[in-house]
Amino acid sequence: MENLKTQCKETTLILGIGNPLLGDDGVGMRAVEILAEKELPPNIKIEQVGTPGWGLPAWLEGWSSVILVDAVQMGQTPGTWRRFSPDEIRLITHRDPLSLHQSDLASGLALAEALEMLPDQITFYGIEPACLDPGNDLSPVVRSGLPGLIDCILKDIRKE
Amino acid sequence: MSERIEVHHVTRVEGHGNIVVEISDGQLKECRFDVIETPRFFEAMLRGRPYQEASHITSRICGICATGHATTSLRATEKALGVELSEQTKLLRKLTFHGEMLDSHVLHTYMLVAPDFLGVGSVIPLATTHREVVLRALRMKKLAGDICATVTGRHTHPIAMTVGGFTYFPKVSELKALRQRLVASRADVKATVELFASLPWPMFKRDTEYISLSKPDEYAFIDGEILSSDGDRLPIEDYQKVTNEYLVEHSSAKFTRHNRKSYMVGALARFNNNFEQLHPTAKEAAQTLGIKPKETNTFLNSAAQVVEIVHCVEDAINIIDQLLERGISPEKPAPVKLKNSNGVGACEVPRGILFHHYWIGEDGKLTGANCIIPTNQNIANLEEDMRAFVPQILDKSVDEIRLSLEMLVRAYDPCISCSVHVLKIEDRV
Repeated sequence: MENLKTQCKETTLILGIGNPLLGDDGVGMRAVEILAEKELPPNIKIEQVGTPGWGLPAWLEGWSSVILVDAVQMGQTPGTWRRFSPDEIRLITHRDPLSLHQSDLASGLALAEALEMLPDQITFYGIEPACLDPGNDLSPVVRSGLPGLIDCILKDIRKE
Repeated sequence: MSERIEVHHVTRVEGHGNIVVEISDGQLKECRFDVIETPRFFEAMLRGRPYQEASHITSRICGICATGHATTSLRATEKALGVELSEQTKLLRKLTFHGEMLDSHVLHTYMLVAPDFLGVGSVIPLATTHREVVLRALRMKKLAGDICATVTGRHTHPIAMTVGGFTYFPKVSELKALRQRLVASRADVKATVELFASLPWPMFKRDTEYISLSKPDEYAFIDGEILSSDGDRLPIEDYQKVTNEYLVEHSSAKFTRHNRKSYMVGALARFNNNFEQLHPTAKEAAQTLGIKPKETNTFLNSAAQVVEIVHCVEDAINIIDQLLERGISPEKPAPVKLKNSNGVGACEVPRGILFHHYWIGEDGKLTGANCIIPTNQNIANLEEDMRAFVPQILDKSVDEIRLSLEMLVRAYDPCISCSVHVLKIEDRV
């Protein structure tokens, strides 16, 4: 395991999060799909992980830097995107999860933290969703926010 | 003295259900498990869709047993369209099915059941108090998911499984790597058996009818006959003679009954009906866990899941050995014969026997569908259990009764719905 960590030390993992069957909840998955088609620096790995819930710590293991891209309810206008670090925000987690389906990203991160498996650096890219009803498509306002968000992620990882 | 115990939204189960129990002067007056999910209309969604899409649509019924729904769906379509599967297809399907069974059982036993016994409210504090236990669960869960991803293209919602076969085939090197990891996981499996053997399971015996699939030559997960512990054996095409669905006022889920007022499906039913076909190591695990057929303590459904974890790991190794010996050859899916037809598929998914019944027109489009899931079949039995269990624990405090009933519900590993996974945040001020 130690070898794996050393080997991965200078690399960044980008995770697309969300359920692509529930409208804008899939925006994180779509964003990393677009990113994967771009010219990327070496040592960047992109994964579409969907809704990992409590399985999240297993994805984070061994990475020093992880970027999470997801639909995030921030109380902003739909389509607005934001880059933030864990220090800047408080994740609203279900204190007493009602079901496995509420083992959401916040619970996954809380579990990773309890297990001391959080990477040194975590960066969130969140887009405010407009519609979370069943459907494959992103709403136009959320789609129009994607190019700016993707440019910012590219700048971020090229700088690193 | 009168006490009313209402647990709205029982925690650590899939979806939403309420426990309602009313005790008056030491007598049980009312006892219900309300399922309050809205119907999801998957059967209606299937009407008019091409048969090739059915398994991908119904896979979305559940994010935990997606492979179970997809496999049952494919079997219904294949029965309707007269498809004969190759030996390689059968082996690959069994292998990925084991992956999902392991994933689901590890999730339920470690993340949902164990916290009750280890004195914590959920898996997150468990990660602090019993770090090694949670890390072991995550390791086993990752391996289980990787089995599914290797065979069907991803952890959940298989993409490579299609009517008549597969559209993608794992490489020999991938299967060898999986085999190595499965062999290495035996230490985790042993530790799992030891952990669950040490838990103080509540004592509660109530004989009921146990219903599962059964096959002459193996511990049945895919196909077979319907077997009742009361002695009946029926072809899966006669599933409606077993399920006899009916409506009750307090539940949006349909109830079922067969010979008695209720019956139980799931790991305990499989264990009771098909014990002899378990892998020898799984039988040893049952001995360590202190269960043998016919086990009538519902709480030990979780112990039966641990027995199946052992069985699935050992059988997955056997299946990979068979695949490696035969060699993997890319095959075209077996051909279909389109005609007006219908077919029934049945599988033992993690929570019990699952039926899909499809009607397909000669244009290849579905004209009707019926899906009967395990949790529906268990709800009447859960209520019968509650009626028998509450009088035995009346001397306990209301809080203790509440927790005991929640644990009883969780023992069934009920799976009631799927929902949105959006993240919510607020700024630190």
